[in-house]
This record gives sequence, structure tokens and C-alpha cells, in this order.
Amino acid sequence: MKRRDFLKATGCLGLSLGCRELLASSLPPLDLIQPNLSRVEARHYEKLPDREIKCTLCPRYCHLGDKERGYCGVRENDGGTYYTLVYGKVCAVHVDPIEKKPFFHFLPGTQAFSLATAGCNVNCRFCQNWQISQVRPEQVEAYDLPPDEVALAARRNKCASIAYTYTEPVVFFEYMIDSSLASRKLGLKNVVVTGGHINLEPLEELIKAVDAIKVDLKSFSEVFYKEYVRGELKPVLEAIKLIHQRKMWLEIVYLVIPTLNDQESMIRQLCRWLIKEIGPDVPLHFSRFHPMYLLKNLPPTPVSTLEKLHSIARDEGLRYVYIGNVPGHRAESTYCPFCGQLIIERVGYQVGRVELKNGRCRFCNAPIPGIWS
Amino acid sequence: MAEKPKVVIVRARGVASGSKPAAARLQAMIIKGLCLLCSQNEPKEAVARIFSPSDRVGIKINTIAGSRLSTPPELALALTSVLNLGGIPERNMIIWDRTNRELKEAGYPLQTSRDKLKIFGTDSAGAGYEQELYSFRNIGSLFSTILTNFVTASISLAVLKNHGLAGITAGMKNYFGAIHNPNKYHDNHCDPFVAELCLCPPVKSRHRLTILDALLVQFHKGPSFHPSWAARYEGLIFGLDPVATDTVGWKIIEKLRAEKGLPSLKEEGRPPAYLETARSLGLGENDPERIQIIEEEV
Repeated sequence: MKRRDFLKATGCLGLSLGCRELLASSLPPLDLIQPNLSRVEARHYEKLPDREIKCTLCPRYCHLGDKERGYCGVRENDGGTYYTLVYGKVCAVHVDPIEKKPFFHFLPGTQAFSLATAGCNVNCRFCQNWQISQVRPEQVEAYDLPPDEVALAARRNKCASIAYTYTEPVVFFEYMIDSSLASRKLGLKNVVVTGGHINLEPLEELIKAVDAIKVDLKSFSEVFYKEYVRGELKPVLEAIKLIHQRKMWLEIVYLVIPTLNDQESMIRQLCRWLIKEIGPDVPLHFSRFHPMYLLKNLPPTPVSTLEKLHSIARDEGLRYVYIGNVPGHRAESTYCPFCGQLIIERVGYQVGRVELKNGRCRFCNAPIPGIWS
Repeated sequence: MAEKPKVVIVRARGVASGSKPAAARLQAMIIKGLCLLCSQNEPKEAVARIFSPSDRVGIKINTIAGSRLSTPPELALALTSVLNLGGIPERNMIIWDRTNRELKEAGYPLQTSRDKLKIFGTDSAGAGYEQELYSFRNIGSLFSTILTNFVTASISLAVLKNHGLAGITAGMKNYFGAIHNPNKYHDNHCDPFVAELCLCPPVKSRHRLTILDALLVQFHKGPSFHPSWAARYEGLIFGLDPVATDTVGWKIIEKLRAEKGLPSLKEEGRPPAYLETARSLGLGENDPERIQIIEEEV
């Protein structure tokens, strides 16, 4: 497949783990798969004696000897210099509605040129895209898409924004920053869909380059983060606070997993923390879980659970609370918190009526936070 | 009372003094080691105690560190010749690791001929990883189809090295090269991941023999070659009990560290905790007092 064909394709994740011939009876000819890896020096690491390095990009602080890779699997120490192996090497690219990310208060009804490279710096047992996030870059088919071409491809596909998504964009930090800066020159916006497992210094750099960040908050429990995410909650909360302090548009998604992170008391704590640290205007999306990856022994989240948590969040004072992955649910739409009128109608990823005028409710003229143009 | 697991150390002075180890001497070391391990006089009988003639034997080597600190081709090939003496046809043997690139960098000629010894990596077309995830305790991985589809009996022919997180890397951790996501198993000093991976049926049902390549031991730093902390130990370590064999390897690393005035791994906060976990899971013995160690020179 040529790159042009690849860019036209929008229907499937770019996963390829090679053909499968049984070794037992007949061995295949030696036809080597050439890995498509970049060799661009990484940012945010420290050189140490004896060809060792310490990665300072995310809270793991991987301390690596020569020839070793970080937890993400896409950054490698070679002779004391740290390289990103996925710069410009996309394994998934689609044109998606911005609502799919989901961003509900960011250019509604527009398309986002969405891309990913392999890799992730956590290992959620419920990962929805594990075939590309929990693999090394050699294990997926990747295509060359340099930053300048990202911007051009997005414009050619009539997208209003570039979305760094599907896997964990933090692990392709350098590529994301450079692509954002290149696409800004063409008048495009940039949005990031992340788990928020990033250190504050690189996050400051990222904030300067993009226009909105959606954080997947997996739970409000350190124990959950340790057992089911293989990460930490505290740095994610610190990242959320910094994103807000820098006035970057922020939305939060919370994947509700039955029995594991759906306790009402924990959701109340989360909502109180959000109101205290971020304020009542941050959109909070409760998203429905489907069994996946290493967590197949639980059922999909009952809609009644999502509705209960939605009600708790509204009770606690959050103004924009949504239910996701339940197409057609009333709570997919935006209602003015002041007059109660429907102001952005959504069904699945489709946007219907938009009753906003200059970022204000058309009915009561109340300001509705977001990036609307 | 259960018999103590046996671990055999065979050393040969000068075997690693040249640029390449001498094949004939390596073969003699392997024959001696297997014969002592299996209490047999002839290599044929020793091999027959571990493998059946119908086995397809996988020799999982370690080539992450390039030509200077990977399993030397001379050693892996000497092992195949001994297995052949024991009745295993060459066509039923494969020397393998993760990638062809690493194999080539370590000096291995890639071979896929149907009727000969095979040498190639999991990233060869037609090999690859299983498509179905194997989920077991804390392990969630895709296994190499070389292990799952070809190999019926596995040898871990691992380089004995210090490891900055696990404490040591030896025969058990070598199986990290049999899965698609080893980078996800380095938290908490690789514990319990090393032990649980070796408990996974795709590994446990096939693993028969550990041979630690201690010709040149990287007793500090690593996994790449650091000559200041590499010792010509000129030994091979043989064991049927993977935990006992790694335990003996650990003690050799500690001895070499002590000789150079380095702190112990425990003092550095990274004793190989996976060994105790492995013992608790029934994979073998980690108490040196309960291991029968036989040392021999050739």
C-alpha cells in the first residue's frame, strides 16, 4: 500500500503483526520484515555516566543502560544517546469527528485528522487500542508521515484540527510538538488525547504547542492506578492542574468500569476535587466500558450506573457532564446550565442543532465555556 | 526428602582468551556439563535423558548486546553439534531470538533451510507473534510463534549478566525475548514478572535445560558490554532446575563484584527478587544450601 492510499484509508487501525505460517510443518523463506524506525534524538532526558540515561519525559523516569528501551517501548538508549524510534512513523491515521475524541466544547461538528504511533507509557488492563499501544514499533506496520505532511494531509482532508490520539501521544512527544507547530502555520488547531502521565516540564512545552487537551482519568484511586493502569494517579492530577492553570482548554474522560472504579463515594471525591482545583465548567465525560484486552471478565457498564454517576456529578456542581459510548443517550447533548435549554444536540458522533451565538447560549445569553471558532 | 537439584559449572582456562572461543573446547565443556548433570558417561545418553529424538529443540539465545556480549555463535553451534550427537537431527533444531537484526549483529548466519539447522528471529516473515493474547496472572503477552508452533523442547542459553533492575539477567529472564512486550515487565525489579512468565504454560511446558554462558560475565552495568566490569570467568553453567541455575549464576556475579570491591546487589537495593518468587511458585530451588553444585575443569 502506498502512503497516499494509506492516508485515504480511514476505516481500520493500521495493525499488522506479519503473516502466520505454521513453523512446524513447513518453514517459510527468509523474507525479513524491515522495521520502519526513526532515529531522532529524544528530548527530555539526562545523560549519565557509562552510556546510561534517565528519561525525564514521564513520571516513570526510566533509567536505562545502553541498548535498553523505556517502558513505552519506543524510546531507546543507543550508546548513551536517547532516540525516539517513532518520529513520523504513524501506525494509525483517520479522519474522525472531533466528538469521537471526545471533545464536546471544541469546534463541534468539525473533523480531526487523527493519528498515532505505536507505544504507551502505561499498561491499562482495559486498553481499547492495545494492538497498537501495547506493542513495540517493529510489531506494527508504520508509514512515514513527517510533520509538514501531517499538516498538508489534514488540510487536504478538510480537517479543522490534528488530534494526537489512539495510543499515548506523550511517547511520541517530539513528533507531536513538531507536527503541531507545522500545522499551526497552516491555521490548523491541535488537540491531544492523553492519559496525562507526563512530567510538568515537557507538559509546559506541549501546552505552548497545542490548543486543547483531553485527559483520560482512569480512576481517583492510587491503588487502581497501580493495579490496573501500571501508573500513578498523583502526577496525572498535577498535569490536570497545570493544564488548567495555563488556560489550556481541558476536558476529562472517565471510563467507568463495573465494580472497579464506579464507587459513588469515589466519584463524589473526584467531582469535589475537580470543582476545587479546576472549577465547575470543565466537561466531564463518563464513558461506557466494554470488555477488552486483559479485562474481559466484566460486563459492559450498565447504563443505569452511568446515569447515577452523571447525577452525582451534577449534584456536586459540575455543569457539563456527559455520558459516552451510549449512542442516542440524552446526556450526549449539551444543555445550558443556566436556562436548561438544549444548546448542542448530539447523537453518537453526529452534531445536530447548535444553539450558540458567539460562545453564548442563544436562549439566555449565558457564556458557555469552550473553543467555538 | 527431595533430592537437591544439581547445577554443574564447567570451566576451561583460556577458552575465552582469543577473539573467538574455540569450538572444540566449547564442545568438550558442553559434553562434560551435560554428562555430569545427567550422571551419564556419554553425551548421547545425557542428551537422551533430557530430550527425545522427535523433539524440536529451540535454543533461545541472548543477542541484545551486539557481538561483544551476546551468546557467541561458536557456543550455540557447539551445543547443536552435541545435541546432534545425542540423536537430535539438525533439521529439528532452531537457534533463535527476537530479531534478525540482533542475530546478525551478534554474528549469526541466518538460516531457514527446511532440512538444516535453522537460525532466525521472531520478526522473520512467517514467524511473528501469536495473535491471541496470553493472559496469565500479571502476564498479558503475545508469544513468539517460534516457541509456540515450532519448539517442543526449549533450552535457555543465556548470557550471565548484571541487570540494573532485576539484579541479574540469566536463564529465566532470557524468556523475556519470547514475548512481544518485555518493556512492560521491568517494574518492581522485574518481579513477579520473570517468575510468572516462566510459569506460563508456553514456557514451562517446553523448558528443559538452562545453560548460562559465563565465558565473559558482565558483573556490573550492562546489558551492553562494559569492559571495565566484565570478567573472563570462562565457564558454562548447566541446570535442569531454572531457579537453582540462576541462583548459582547470581552467586558467581556476587563473588566477582566482591573481588572488585563493588557492593553486593542487596546493598545496591536490587537482589534478584524474582528467584524467591519463582521458588514460591514451585519453579525450583533458590536456597544455595539446597543446591548440589558440581564444579569441573576441562
